[in-house]
Amino acid sequence: MQEMLTQEKSIYLQIAEMIENDILREVLLEEEQAPSTNELARLYAINPATAAKGVNLLVDEGILYKKRGIGMFVTTGAKDKIRTKRRQSFYADYIERLLGEARSLGITKAELIRMIEEEGQEG
Amino acid sequence: MASQKKDAASNRRGGSLIGKGIVKRFGKKEVLHGIDIALEPGRIYGLIGRNGAGKTTLLSILSAQNPLSLGEVTLAGEQVWENIPAKEQICFSRELTPTAESGIANLKIQHYLKIAASYFPNWDQPFAMKLLGDFQLYEKAKIGKLSKGMLSMITIIVALASKAPYTFLDEPVAGLDVIAREEFYRLLLEEYSATGRTFVVSTHIIEEAAAMLEETIILKDGHVLLQENTEELVASCIYVSGREEEVEQATVGLDVYHKERIGRSVGAMVKLADGQELRADGNITIQPMSLQKIFAALCQEEREER
Repeated sequence: MQEMLTQEKSIYLQIAEMIENDILREVLLEEEQAPSTNELARLYAINPATAAKGVNLLVDEGILYKKRGIGMFVTTGAKDKIRTKRRQSFYADYIERLLGEARSLGITKAELIRMIEEEGQEG
Repeated sequence: MASQKKDAASNRRGGSLIGKGIVKRFGKKEVLHGIDIALEPGRIYGLIGRNGAGKTTLLSILSAQNPLSLGEVTLAGEQVWENIPAKEQICFSRELTPTAESGIANLKIQHYLKIAASYFPNWDQPFAMKLLGDFQLYEKAKIGKLSKGMLSMITIIVALASKAPYTFLDEPVAGLDVIAREEFYRLLLEEYSATGRTFVVSTHIIEEAAAMLEETIILKDGHVLLQENTEELVASCIYVSGREEEVEQATVGLDVYHKERIGRSVGAMVKLADGQELRADGNITIQPMSLQKIFAALCQEEREER
């Protein structure tokens, strides 16, 4: 949870994404306690209501769950859930933008495919 | 901790502070032109506006430090003017200006805090002393010897230690360096989380405070230009740029502010109302805007060239 906030999108979405990133990278493990709304508010100097909105988004998606009187915890299977979700939006988030930029630069589909294949060989 | 939780609950339950039709005249000059404003318990409000927009005057009227010419201010349904129990619930920590006439230049910090404490029944002296330490201020220093930043620290200490359910801070970060400003934001959020007090913060350093402010109130030439949830306001404003015809086409029927032209290209802010969408099919660029940019676009509106 040490990424910095940007102005590219709503803060509550960024809070939700940063928690997701921590789960994907196993900074935050399943069945472990997630940072509290007040901790998030203090760390990022944001209104606690905004932090709560981000956390609640993850509760609605079943990535976090509430233990009454204790706080928020990472659901078992949260990592898979986040992967599945991000795979579904991968096309819209990355491929469409890539294709749009390639089109305005006159890069053909064949050239694009060659670039990806070459990258694969190097790596 | 248990008592703090109770404080938080009771502060959030308390009544609203409501101003209706506030008009303020200084002699023949009218500076506030019929302002309606409602402040609910348990929120952090940002009050932004250009110099001379009337921010300080409005805060002084809402806290009954200044009489109004017309209109009324009520807290939980009761008039605030000349009502001591109501006034004790509202702290307006003004900017300190230690001139020879004001008499405070010769006061030591500790004496100034003692005077401030006498106005607020919930004053928290240990908290005030802790804050003095946090800001590395010496209680025996004279007010007249303090720098602008140190004077801001004193107004912050009075505001926080007052424990008033409604607390107004007028440019609390003026003159503070970046470390002290971040310290202030942290202290304010901690106090807010623990107690649920309502804060109104006026500031010119908009971007730093934006994420902290649940609602934004923009004051322009003595009117409330808007009062909106900060997040919704930021989400509703977008910057559109590209070839003039395409930008025109995409923004037909929408509220467009502060249009700027360079050659064939145009950039402008669009404020979308509920349910409105931008017809973005062509070659235009759409970018999110910061609260500061939104404020600037709204307040420069009239300077748009024809």
